[in-house]
Amino acid sequence: MHSTLVRVQNVFGFFTTVAFTVATVIALSTFIHPQNPSASVQLRNVQVQRGRPHYYSYKKEEYAHIKFDLDTDLSSLFNWNTKQVFLYLKAVYPSTKAGEPASEAIVWDAVLASAAQAWHTVHYVHPNPKKTKSSKSAKDKSKKTAESPYPRGEIHLKNQRPKYQITDVSGKLQNRTDVVLELGWNVQPWVGALVWTNKVDLGMWLGLKGGVSKPFDFPEIGKKSGDTQTEKGKEGHRLEVGGEHPVRRGSK
Amino acid sequence: MDALLDPLRDALEGQIDFEGQRLAELLTTFLLGLTGIVAFFAGFMKQDIALSLWVGLAGTAATFAAVVPPWGFYRRNGVEWLSPLGGVKVTVS
Repeated sequence: MHSTLVRVQNVFGFFTTVAFTVATVIALSTFIHPQNPSASVQLRNVQVQRGRPHYYSYKKEEYAHIKFDLDTDLSSLFNWNTKQVFLYLKAVYPSTKAGEPASEAIVWDAVLASAAQAWHTVHYVHPNPKKTKSSKSAKDKSKKTAESPYPRGEIHLKNQRPKYQITDVSGKLQNRTDVVLELGWNVQPWVGALVWTNKVDLGMWLGLKGGVSKPFDFPEIGKKSGDTQTEKGKEGHRLEVGGEHPVRRGSK
Repeated sequence: MDALLDPLRDALEGQIDFEGQRLAELLTTFLLGLTGIVAFFAGFMKQDIALSLWVGLAGTAATFAAVVPPWGFYRRNGVEWLSPLGGVKVTVS
């Protein structure tokens, strides 16, 4: 500590130790913050369609379009060390070959930001069930910050359309059985480790209650169980049967 | 030239005496340790991690300011060196 340079090095060296120690204590302090997440997932409608992965593809694959209801309360996942929660809903269906693990594909996801985080366009904005489409223009005018009608971490979706239409590595998806929808998340803290969905109780952290739908089957292509409101026209064409070449009506 | 550079070199080196070194070491440990504890509890009470960050950084800046410059209280106990043979008595602070 005899000269300026040595004192700078000493102070900075001990500062790094203190910073790391405080970060560790902060990460550990989240364990005394109780968690009691709960969720209920229900299938609304499922439809399988044939389509192409991209416009110029010759390969055709089968895509499942899954609509669902989701009611979940994840507000207890938000503690002082939570930066954001990545929430996802995946379809899980057993493999065709025995002994192979089940396939999983994400149908819908959302980034739930904490209060401390600055606004970003990827953050999820909960749709407001009270507002109708006609009041959209009025909403846009008054919209400074996007607000959810529910408390942070609480989600109530009715007849939600999927974000992603899913397919299988084999390209075949119709008539597959025992499909379930399962909710999962990934808590991203400010400091500390990423925490994935916990199903078991860990001290004050209770495991997720519910969060898995009843088993259902992927129907045959073209069999509808209600209107999926899939967009027709523009890019929606690529999911139509026989839509790989534009066919003029009456040319056959 | 040496007459010009010596004071500049002394100012940059910022040498302090032995008792001052003991005090500087003690102050570093105490101030930074206190900063860490205060930073955690301030943030935990307010449930605001940004507060922890700013308290921690402010405390660290204060520690740098208190310890790094060769303040007067670090150089109160200068060592009385024996005069070189045949030379004059010199006090190094």
